[in-house]
Amino acid sequence: MSTWAKPFTLDVPDADLELLKKKLELVRFPDELQNADWQYGVPLADIKRLTAHWRDSFDWRKTEAEINKLPQFTTDIEVDGFGTLNVHYVHQKSSVQNAVPLLFVHGWPGHFLEVRKLLPLLTAATPDNPSFHVVAPSLPGFGFSEAPSKPGFAGYQYAELLHKVMLFLGYEEYVYQGGDLGHVLGVYLANAYGHKHLKAWHSNMPFYRTPSLLSNPLLFLELLTLPFNKVLSEQLSAATHFRKKGMGYFQVQATTPQTLGYSLADSPVGLLAWIYEKLYKAVHNYPWTDDEVIEWISIYWFSRPGPAANVRIYYELTGGNAHDMFEGTQWTSVPLGVSFFPGEPVRLPKSWAHMIGKVVFQSEHNAGGHFAAFEQPEKLASDLRTMFGREGPAYNVVTGKDGYA
Amino acid sequence: MAAAQEQPFTLAVPDADLTLLRNKLDLVRFPDELDGAAWDYGAPLSDIKRLVARWKDGFDWRKAEAEINKLPMFTRDIEVDGFGTLNIHYVHQKSQVKNAIPLLFVHGWPGDFLEARKLLPILTSNDPDHPSFHVVALSLPGFGFSEAPKKPGFAGPQYAQVFNKLMLALGYEEYAPPLEPNAFQLGVHAVHHYGHKHVKAWHSNMPMSGRPTLFSHPLIYLEALTLPFNKTASAQLEQAKKWSIKGRGYYLQQSTRPQTLGYSLADSPVGLLAWIYEKLVEWSDNYPWTDDEVLEWISIYWFSRAGPAAAGRIYYEMTGGNSHDVFEGTKWTSVPLGVSYFPGELVRLPKGWAHMIGKLVFESEHDKGGHFAAFEQPEKLAGDLRKMFGKGGPAHGVVLGKNGYD
Repeated sequence: MSTWAKPFTLDVPDADLELLKKKLELVRFPDELQNADWQYGVPLADIKRLTAHWRDSFDWRKTEAEINKLPQFTTDIEVDGFGTLNVHYVHQKSSVQNAVPLLFVHGWPGHFLEVRKLLPLLTAATPDNPSFHVVAPSLPGFGFSEAPSKPGFAGYQYAELLHKVMLFLGYEEYVYQGGDLGHVLGVYLANAYGHKHLKAWHSNMPFYRTPSLLSNPLLFLELLTLPFNKVLSEQLSAATHFRKKGMGYFQVQATTPQTLGYSLADSPVGLLAWIYEKLYKAVHNYPWTDDEVIEWISIYWFSRPGPAANVRIYYELTGGNAHDMFEGTQWTSVPLGVSFFPGEPVRLPKSWAHMIGKVVFQSEHNAGGHFAAFEQPEKLASDLRTMFGREGPAYNVVTGKDGYA
Repeated sequence: MAAAQEQPFTLAVPDADLTLLRNKLDLVRFPDELDGAAWDYGAPLSDIKRLVARWKDGFDWRKAEAEINKLPMFTRDIEVDGFGTLNIHYVHQKSQVKNAIPLLFVHGWPGDFLEARKLLPILTSNDPDHPSFHVVALSLPGFGFSEAPKKPGFAGPQYAQVFNKLMLALGYEEYAPPLEPNAFQLGVHAVHHYGHKHVKAWHSNMPMSGRPTLFSHPLIYLEALTLPFNKTASAQLEQAKKWSIKGRGYYLQQSTRPQTLGYSLADSPVGLLAWIYEKLVEWSDNYPWTDDEVLEWISIYWFSRAGPAAAGRIYYEMTGGNSHDVFEGTKWTSVPLGVSYFPGELVRLPKGWAHMIGKLVFESEHDKGGHFAAFEQPEKLAGDLRKMFGKGGPAHGVVLGKNGYD
């Protein structure tokens, strides 16, 4: 069991590259309806083009070398009932000694590299803005972390693991940023380690349970006005549309992730389509290059536990679709900052953010979508700088580390 | 203009296709699995590994193909308004009994035309004690060896049109289709458009309906209020609810983004195997599947004329991309309806609710059998059809001049 941070170098075996190439050469494409465009899912023309790019042009070794410029490590973390899991993470320190320790957590279908563009901004040493030491792990089952081997690795287990990574790195107190499942896990961390360790946190996809009469009477009553309330109706329309049209993946992953897993593990094109659909639909006018897409998919294809393991998180967080993702959590008074990006598919009335936690910071943007850190790193970094800066509502929350030299 | 007449059909998968499949299976990459997962997270790894090994070395496609070719199979072009002609593949087995009842057997998803196989000898037999049937079993457009529609919008009415035109082309002005789930939804459309005039009676082993309301079905509604006290009905609704939470992932995916899923199903034989095998096991009632039965079933999808991605689209088209249910545009009809209840069926509604679908004239309950009733319990299903259409049965003589007996 490693009790030290072992430097990590990404080095996909040649045999794996060979296998991928062979599979891409044997690809069999489906048919498509005339003029289908995006109506039935990812268009055939897109997948054909991306497949050809992957097979003939994309340079994995070059990409790998770039990734290896990031300071990456692995360490064993013990989780009650699950033994030790070897966790992979980026740990970039600022030159500012008292930088604020920040844990960045990706979601699905994201990965640790979503932090990449934020790193230079957050760790920069400038007198005008707070600096951060940034820790960005691969969640268990994703990227280059081990996957849990037994059923039941749910919200509090992820929280325990993430928290212990921070403790291991010497950060008794820290702050947190996440979107997508990163947001969901933030709720668990706030519940389990809030105040004592997690001093404040930020989300770019703030959502929680639908208001009920007992939990949030005012918001619930407002919901009852829905048939007559145009503004509220519009605010909910994106979420409603997403629920009707965009939740197929969720339902499959929350009930039969293993069945889906055979396709994702065996077919690079199947995996590409499954993830690219989200990359395309959830961003806000982001000009994906084919290289960016293929690099993203490659992290999944070459992931340490394989591409089937990551989708299980939906099953574990929902008890096999038996309940919502927030089971066992509640509102906490840990200071929370939220950023609203216009392209976020899971877009809810802003007032609902107050159901998650004590909102101390709010920001609204006119550009950016679901993958905010990747699409709009300056905006997101700016929000964090404002929230944790000298004039900000979460300034100096971490004892002795206010982010300034 | 393509040939409108019937052409005999011989299944002959090109060698190149067999080679590609073999090459893909040689490169298979399996996922991991959680300890002790069994069926909790989906099809178990050991099952899939075993089936893949058999598929590579052991399963003999050419032998299976030769057996399939013993069935009387044909293709013909059917014109569908707004969609041009589709070349439709079907089995057409006539009985020796001249006045046999024309019966159209329609499979569903993830089924295929071969589900009728075990019924054929029973239904077409020449037996003075039972009515005889001429059986037509087609590959739905987009499945098996029928062409797929090329444009969006091929839904209930279009499928119904294919059924009706096929039967008319075969000389069957009046006929009775028994139906299987998913096909049940298609049957509702067939009956809606062609009931009485052409479809004289129909049968289902998975009758489905919406909930009764006070205004739509007052008596059934009032009876439903007593449900909490009706143990059997309660248990059945619980089961349906459970399925609704745990078993509808495939439905939501296929009714919203079938193309995205299609890339996996077309490219990965293992992915396709798992996707369908899961249903074969979960939806049947402890049917003792042999590996070869499973692999033959999956092969029909793998080698299907339109490719494996086309079939799933039916969910999208029938629901308008999950914007309405599959019964959109249909309503109760007085075309005589028979239902058979099998214990392993996915959705088991309280018995009285079948009256909301159509004029219920025949009901039968079994203690064994699941969703793929024709495949799992052919004798029981054939027995029900014989009772329903036989002498003294509630649908006897519905087809003019063809009561099943000479």
